[in-house]
Amino acid sequence: MHEISLARSILNTLEAEFSSEQLGQLTEIGLKVGLLSNVEPALMQNAFEAVTTTENRFQQVVLKIETVPIVIYCEACDARSTIANYKFACSSCGQPNNNIVSGTELLIHQVRFE
Amino acid sequence: MDKAAKSSKTARGTVACDNTTLHLLKANDFVAESIRKRMAENNIMLINITSSAGSGKTTLLQETARRISGKVKMKILVGDLETERDADRLRQTGVDALQIVTGGICHLEAQMIWQAMESLNLDGVELLIVENVGNLVCPASFDLGEDYRVTLLATTEGDDKPKKYPRMFLTSELMLVSKSDLLPYLPFSVEAVVADARDVNPNIDVMQISSTTGEGIDQWCNWLLDKVKEKQEAANVVAAQ
Repeated sequence: MHEISLARSILNTLEAEFSSEQLGQLTEIGLKVGLLSNVEPALMQNAFEAVTTTENRFQQVVLKIETVPIVIYCEACDARSTIANYKFACSSCGQPNNNIVSGTELLIHQVRFE
Repeated sequence: MDKAAKSSKTARGTVACDNTTLHLLKANDFVAESIRKRMAENNIMLINITSSAGSGKTTLLQETARRISGKVKMKILVGDLETERDADRLRQTGVDALQIVTGGICHLEAQMIWQAMESLNLDGVELLIVENVGNLVCPASFDLGEDYRVTLLATTEGDDKPKKYPRMFLTSELMLVSKSDLLPYLPFSVEAVVADARDVNPNIDVMQISSTTGEGIDQWCNWLLDKVKEKQEAANVVAAQ
């Protein structure tokens, strides 16, 4: 898996978005990881620690990972269903459906400054 | 990026980033869009071929090049962690192939394709095939700007893979059940694998192929030729407007 490169990309993304002054006060990063993102939260956590320690940046920052379930939307029923066992079908009408509205996320949804 | 362009958000408390799309793959997706645009401008059909290691991607592409390189101008980019072996094998069929050595990275990223395109003369090319690193996990998350993603699943791998690696099958338009000549010797149910793949992706097309016996290879080659034509016709429609 590529958790190490993703951990770097968290840091790079934030460095592009916020000034170094702002980042000096950063205490927490909230990451949303969809079940379809192929990212394993425990490995991501380890990778983040490894990168921040070896590159000596963001060491004061806590990474909080939130796992997001797979949800599809059926237009015919106007219904959302949470997918279990990777069977992509509407729970209301039973029709096959892979109109995914969440579950592929791999994004920073929240950052906390002191 | 200079500081002035950065967010002017107050560095206090909690900042919700929902509107700033801090998507970790956004750099990749940005390059993938540039590739898509360039392919559209040049009417090149771009196919991304994925699978586990050893499912027969290179053998299939050798066979494909032998059959259709006289009918369509094609080139191949092939990714591996190390060695030029696959590109060498492909070149033996007379097709122009370029090796991308990832040096340990488990997937191809859009940036690697973009860079490789610099070394590849794309004049007149109608079909560009990317043979991804053999891996059903990471390559699933990286858009390469392709028109279609094709995933091979060899009968020797077992018929339980679509649900184990759902994202790959979810994002593929076509699944090729490869090494079909070995079916008589293996506890592999094509019916079960198709049912599982369609649980994950109801729209996925399936073909059964064997590069050894030739089963399904014509059907696969025709699919490719149809896609090339489809892109050229779509471009003609745009040009006529």
